[in-house]
Order: sequence, then C-alpha cells, then structure tokens
Amino acid sequence: MVKRTIMVMAAVLWCCGAALSAGKEMKVGFVYVSPVGDAGYSYAHDMGRKFIEGQDGVTTAFVEAVAEGPDAERVILNMARKGYDLVFATSYGYMDPMLKVAQKFPDIVFMHCSGFKTAPNMGNYFGRMYQARYLTGMVAGSMTRSNTLGYVAAFPIPEVIRGINAFTLGARAVNPNADVRVVWTKTWYDPATEKEAAKSLLDTGADVIAQHQDSPGPQEAAQERGVYSIGYNTDMSAFAPKAHLTAAVWNWGPFYKEMTDAVRNGIWKSGAYWYGMDKDIVDISPMADMVPEKVRTRVAAKKAELIAGTFEPFSGELRDQGGTVRIPAGKSMTDAELLGMDWFVEGVIGSTQ
Amino acid sequence: MTWWDMLVPLLAAAVQSGTPILFATLGEIFTERAGVLNLGVEGVMLMGALAGFLTSKWTGSPALGFAVGGLSGAGLSGLHGLVCIGFSGNQVVSGLALTILGTGLADYLGTPFIGQGAPGFDPVPVPGLSEIPAVGSIFFRHDPLVYVSYAIPPLMWLFFRNTRWGLRLRAVGEYPHAAAAAGLNVSAFRWAGVLVGGFLCGAGGAYLSLAYTHLWTSGLSAGRGWIAVALVIFAFWHPGRAVVGAYFFGGVMAFQFRLQATGTHIPSSLLLMLPYALTILVLVFSSWRGRGDQAPAFLGVSVPPGE
Amino acid sequence: MISPFRIVKREAPLAWGACLVISGAVLFALGIGMGMLSLQGKPPLSGMGLLLQGAFGSRWALEDCVGKAVPIYLCSLGVAVAFRLQVWNIGAEGQFALGAVGAAWAVYRFSTLPGWTLIPLMMLVAFAAGAFWGLIPAFLKLRMRANEIIVTLMMNYIAIFFLDYLVYGRWKDPSSFGFPMTPTFPDSAVVGRIGGTNLNWGLLLCIVSGLLVWVFFRHTRLGFELKAGGQSLQAARYARLPYENLVVLVMVLSGGLAGWAGFIEASATLNRLQPSIMVGYGYTAIVVAWLAQLNPLYIGIAAFLLAGLRVGGENLQLELQVPAAFGEILEGLILLSVLAASFFIRYRLAPRRRS
Repeated sequence: MVKRTIMVMAAVLWCCGAALSAGKEMKVGFVYVSPVGDAGYSYAHDMGRKFIEGQDGVTTAFVEAVAEGPDAERVILNMARKGYDLVFATSYGYMDPMLKVAQKFPDIVFMHCSGFKTAPNMGNYFGRMYQARYLTGMVAGSMTRSNTLGYVAAFPIPEVIRGINAFTLGARAVNPNADVRVVWTKTWYDPATEKEAAKSLLDTGADVIAQHQDSPGPQEAAQERGVYSIGYNTDMSAFAPKAHLTAAVWNWGPFYKEMTDAVRNGIWKSGAYWYGMDKDIVDISPMADMVPEKVRTRVAAKKAELIAGTFEPFSGELRDQGGTVRIPAGKSMTDAELLGMDWFVEGVIGSTQ
Repeated sequence: MTWWDMLVPLLAAAVQSGTPILFATLGEIFTERAGVLNLGVEGVMLMGALAGFLTSKWTGSPALGFAVGGLSGAGLSGLHGLVCIGFSGNQVVSGLALTILGTGLADYLGTPFIGQGAPGFDPVPVPGLSEIPAVGSIFFRHDPLVYVSYAIPPLMWLFFRNTRWGLRLRAVGEYPHAAAAAGLNVSAFRWAGVLVGGFLCGAGGAYLSLAYTHLWTSGLSAGRGWIAVALVIFAFWHPGRAVVGAYFFGGVMAFQFRLQATGTHIPSSLLLMLPYALTILVLVFSSWRGRGDQAPAFLGVSVPPGE
Repeated sequence: MISPFRIVKREAPLAWGACLVISGAVLFALGIGMGMLSLQGKPPLSGMGLLLQGAFGSRWALEDCVGKAVPIYLCSLGVAVAFRLQVWNIGAEGQFALGAVGAAWAVYRFSTLPGWTLIPLMMLVAFAAGAFWGLIPAFLKLRMRANEIIVTLMMNYIAIFFLDYLVYGRWKDPSSFGFPMTPTFPDSAVVGRIGGTNLNWGLLLCIVSGLLVWVFFRHTRLGFELKAGGQSLQAARYARLPYENLVVLVMVLSGGLAGWAGFIEASATLNRLQPSIMVGYGYTAIVVAWLAQLNPLYIGIAAFLLAGLRVGGENLQLELQVPAAFGEILEGLILLSVLAASFFIRYRLAPRRRS
C-alpha cells in the first residue's frame, strides 16, 4: 500500500517536473541603448526579441534608451530582482554595469553584446557584420563609375571602423581603383544630420553611399541625386527604391532562440559567441534589380566561401592608410585584434577620430 | 575636385540647410517684436516636425502636413502664452519649460514612428531661373517650401513697416503702457505675436521632417531652435538680416561635413563644435556693436493684467 | 463679458501658502501625465503607482534616487545662485562636463597621490574648470552685452563635444578595445560609499554646500544684495559690490557647483570619463531650482523628487512599455504648471464689487 502511494507520488512528481521543464516559463529581458523604433541597431535586436516572444513559454520585456553607466546597472539590477532568467544588454557601454550585477546574481544568465568581459554566468556575443560589409563592398565597387564611395559613419568605435575596412577591402577586391571617403556624424540616428553628411560626400564625387547609421537619411540623399546606396541594419529599400542596392543586415532571432533554449535546458556555457554568416546572424538583403547578374554571381560565390569558412576578409597582406604593412601575407587578424581595430586600411580617406 | 567646384554645391546646401532656421528665426522675430520672449523654439520645432510628419503620413498630403505642423507650433506656443501672458509667469523659465515639454512630448508621441517614412516635398527646379549659372543652382533647385520661405521676409518687413497692425504690434513691444493708454489691447497683440511666431517655428520644424528629410526622429532639430533665438539678435530683429544669418548657419553646418569629406585629420568632435562656437561669436559681435538695444524695449517683461 | 473677479496684487507674496500652491501645481501636472497614459491605453492609476513604486518603493530604489539627486542638487544650487541675481545660467550641463573633465585631468596628472590629497585636488580642479566655463559667459555678458542664455547654451554643446574629443582621442583607454572611455580611476580617486549602503559621500558635499549657500542667502549682506540686485538694477547700485562683480561672483559659484556635480559623477558613480556621463542633469537642475523657488532646502526635496521621476520612469518602461520620454514630459508639465501657479503667489482674485 505504502509502496503504491510512493510510486504514484513519484509518477506525479515526475510528470510535474517534465511539464515544468517543457513549458518552463522563462523571463528574458533586453536592454537597448536607443529607442526601439529607429529601424536600426536596437530595432534589429528587438526583431530578435519578438522572434522568441511567446515561444515555449518565453515572455520578454525591454527597456530602451538606457544610458550607459549607472542607469544601465540599475535597469539590469531591476530585471535581476524581478526574477528574470536571462538578460541581454545590447551596447558596449553596458559591459561593466552588467558584470557588477552578474556577480550579485549567480543564478541568472547575462549576455553582453559587443564586449569582451565574461563571468561564470555572463557571456558576450556579437555578429561578424564585417563579413556582410565585405560583400556589400563588392557590390558597391562593381557599381561605381566615379571610383569614389562615400561612407556615412556614426562614431569612431572598432565595430564601425571594422565595417568600413571590410567594405573597402571588398570594394577594392573587385575594383582596385575605388576609394572610400568617410564622414563622422557623431550620432546613431539623426536623419537630417546623416543626410547632410551624405550630401557632402556626394559633392566630392561619390556615387555609392554606404552607412553605419541607423536612419535612412543617407539613402534619401543618394536617391535624390540619382546614385546608388547600401543600407544597414535592415533592408532600407523602401526609403530609396531606385538607389538601394543591398544592405548589411542583422538577424538576431535564431541566436536569441539558441541562447534561450540553452539556458532553459541548463546547457548554457559562458564564453564569447561571435557568430558569423554561417549561423545566419548577419546577411545581406536581396539585391536590387539594378545589380547585374555578373556581380550577383560573384558575390554569391564569395558568400558561400565566407559561410564555408574558406575566406577571411582580414587576412594579409593588409596595409593601413599610411602604407605600412599591418598584417603580413599569410596571416589573419585574430578576434582580439579585430575587436580593437582602430586603424583604416589603404583606400580609406578620412580620420579615425 | 577643386574648392571652386565644391563652392556652388556648398552654397546650395547652405540655402537648404538654412531654411528651417530661417522659418524659426522669422517666427521668433515676430514674437519678440510684440514683447514676448519665447525660448521654447526648439521644443516647438520638434512638435511641428512630428505633427507635420504624422499628418503627411496619414493623409498623404505634405502640404497639409506643413500647415498642421505650423498649427501645432502655434498650439504649443499657446501654452507659453497662457503662462506668460495669462498668468504673468517668468518668460525665460517658461520658454525653457516649453523646450523640455515640447521635446519630451514629441519623443513620447513619436517614438512608435521612428524609422518610418512619409510623403514629403522633393526638389522642384524653377523653370528658367534654375538654368542661370551658379545662382540658379544655389537658389532655384530646391523643394517648394524653400521658395515659400523666400516670400516671408519681405512680407514681414512690409507688415512691420507699412501696415497699421504691424506698427501697433511694434508699439506694444516698445511701449506697452503707452499703447494700453492709447486703447490698444496689449495682451491680444502679445497673443498674436506668440501664436503667429509659434506657427512659423512649427513650420520650420515641419520643414525638417517633410522636405529636408522625409523622416522623423527625436532630436531632429539638433539645436537649430536655439540658433534661431540667437540669430534674432544677430538680425537686429529685422527680417532681412535674418535671411543672411540663417543661410550663414546653414552653410556652417553643411561646411563642416564637407571639410571632413575632403579627408582632413581634424577630429570630427572639434568640427562639430563649429556652428555653436560661431553662434557665440556672431552674438557677441552683434551685441557688442551696441545695437543690442535695438531690442523691443519691453521684451521679456511681463505686463500683468490690471497694471 | 466682465469676469466676476478682478486681479489684485498681494501686499506680500505668499510664504507658507506658496508650498501649497506649488504642490498643487505638481499634482496637477501629474494628473495630466496620468491623462496621457490613459490616452495611450495604459492604466493611469496603476501606472502612476508603478512610477512611485519604482522610485520610492524599496531601499535600493531610494538609494538610487539619492544617488541621482546628488549631482542634480549641486547643479541646481549653482543655478539658483545665478537665477537669484536674474543671471540666466542655462549652462549647468556644460559646466558639469567641464568639472568632470577637470577632475579626470587631475587624476591622470597626479595619479600617484594618496586619496586624501588627490580627492581635494580633484575637487579644486573640478570647481575651477566649471567656474571657468561660467566665467566666459559672465565676461561676454558684461563686456559685450551678449545674452547669457544663448552663450551658456551654446557652450553646453561645445563642452560636450570637447568631452567627446578627449575621450575619443588622447584620453582613450588603450585597453578599452577602441571604445571611447578613459582608463578607470584608481581607488584613491574614487569617492567612496557610505557604510554598507549604495550612497556616496557626495551627499555630504551636498549638505555642506546647501548649508553654506543657505547661510549666504539669508544671513549675509551680500546674499541679500544678490536678491535685491536681481530685482532691479537700481537696487544693485546701492550694493557694496558693483553689479559687474556680482555677476562674476554668481557665475563663478554657479559654474563651480555644477563642476562639483561632474566631479561626483565621474569619481563616485562612473569611476571614469565617458560620453554617457551626460544625461541632462544640467537641464533638470533648472526645473528643480525653479520648483524650489531658489531655496536650498526645497531644492533638496525637489531634486529628490525629480530624481525619483527618472528612476521610476524606468520601471514604467519595463512594466508598461511606456516610452522613455514620459519622464521628460512630466518635467516640462510640472515646470509650466508651477510657473502658472506662481501667479497666485503674487496675485489673488478678489470679487468685483458692484458699486
């Protein structure tokens, strides 16, 4: 009699346990550095969040426009205290605040984007956007007639500099005479400023405009002048259908799902997750009709090489703006070197400040 | 590309970049001539930008958007009028409050729409005039709102100089007590100054989201409202000089990007300071030459009801 | 239509009643805020509840509010000093930035000094840097008759770009992987926490400065002359110091206090310099100063409340997805309401008598 009761109880408990783990409620929090609707960086992250929202008992929430520093620490702390299971912080400046909170809440998993510090319960992640940039550079280099490409850039931080360099390398791979001129706007999302910056590049003769900005301002400028443009973050062709050739885009959804599943199943490990095109985290948007077949094929082939891992954009010989060899032939840049990139490759005209 | 090749596009950019500043400066001139200081221009421009953007987006008509942008500017300025004229509040602080409120309100209401586009004004070259070498490119290859802005300064000048109402408005700004004694309704004229000025400032903001770009974002005006307030002093409260000031500033903003594009190694942070540093220089120069007392004599002074 | 009331100036402005009027205005503004929430489909009452709970509902939230209130208080004290003379210093934001820059400079230049010399040195340099940034508009106002509102405002932008220039350039931390931030301050340069709480000793600086300014306003002749001089230039003529010196004095004090706020933020809160040190405290300080009628004690209360607004607003974002700008709207509404309500401190409505 007792044995039967125990068996029944065990069975019930086991069923409960199974039910709990299968649809285990997970609260996942996101911290954004800018407003979500900016069709840019935070927007792309938010698309990823929406991808996992509702699946398998996952509820998500976010706080936007959080200043880096103590505000960020408080927001992350707030989420930890409210019992969130997994928190993603999407800007470099959140690194130290997140680390402080992670040390206080060892049972919660923290993931920091674009940084380098880790803890047993904190990892970092990013995407190899430079792979997509390289491909867009190839497109731009093929389509330019004036051999001047314009790049509207936000802030002189490594990821932006890396993107510019990859873009330039891609352009010069198909067109060794192409130059890339860079203008800094010191803003992530300000269409008026970014459009003015794009126009200034157009006035120097650029006929393809690329950007590391979150607004479609530069796209508009390019369309108005009747030249081409490359988008960023999301497909921006709706804003400049006659100009937009392709865009370097983020696709965070699958990655967020992978992390959420890992945490739920208890198999998450701390570390640096720097995924690339092979994991679909970055990509280029469909190419516009203006791009000729020849270019498409070439780019598709290079994309396949990137996915297979047989091609590395930042491999020797690489010279900087001054002509000095930074990476000798036969060597590739390490992840650490890439993460801290603060010099321009040959072919870029502009200052790194 | 030689410097000369870049000069004409730079001047054309100066005109377009200066147009929103021009609208705002003219609006503030109108308000200040009536004796009211409205420091909330920045907030008013942002609300105008949002309202214009949304109207155009929902109705498909940029022209209607422009009008609504102006009206919302007038509406927001109406709050300032209520506090300063109705309740004799401190005009400086009220203007600041308006900036904070306008900025916040525009952000709050507009956040869902960041990243979306709306129908706007595209450049329309003026037939014939746009073919004139240099001058044609600089003045006649812009969007229709720029052409509208060409008409306002002379109209405003005529209004202040030659019309009964214009002279009365000036009187209210210069000698409110005498004007009241002469039977003029000081409050009503001040209200007119605030509302019409607010309309123009809101229109300037709408220009940013309907013509300069076809987008909206928080902080779209980037300090242009404040530059407009400074330019009013530079212009000695005269609509004609406002044009010079506005285009000069548009030019500075456009210039620092072009300088970057030439590949200079001057750090961009320093270049970005240029418009603001120049505003100070221009203000100092204008005030120092002693004609700072061309200001309407009772500018910023509350005239409470019953006094 | 003639209204049944006429407006009569009070013999003396309301004293205690002023508190009631201002509190009423604040509540009115909060009410409008609730209205806005419901317009967007969010529950107004529980929304406000979340705001209050997020701001004051727990010990750590209260500590966060105080932590934020410290720099706001210092900036606001400075603003009040200037406003008292009717010198419209809108430049607290830029003076804050310069103070932070000055403190950082002292750290990197004299990094080997022990804490008990380094921190006072940082304070001295931060004050001087902020004061310098306030002195320039004062000079331009006196010598060139340049409107200080615009000069101080433009200098805010310049100061922020200057901070950017340093942090992206020569002061960038070599180990920060190219990101714009300075090296972390050594422990000797960090203003520490009080006991086991999350508060820092900047609080002490606030209390001391507040007391000094209060005494200055109320019990020194100079303080009185500031108020008189603010109200009429004629009264200023009878002051012991000429008007020019008064202007310089207030701008130096004003800038210096804001500079101290920057010092505290850099040293105690961030432990380094980075662009995101600028979060708009300088502008909130103006709202606070006006709310508090330029009184150092009330500034403390108002600073705490507005810090609470910022802290509580994050809770609203997290729970109700209210946009971040909601706090800013409330600030603007509160200020406008208080401005309008101030009318009733100076005037009252009297029934029109039928003669």
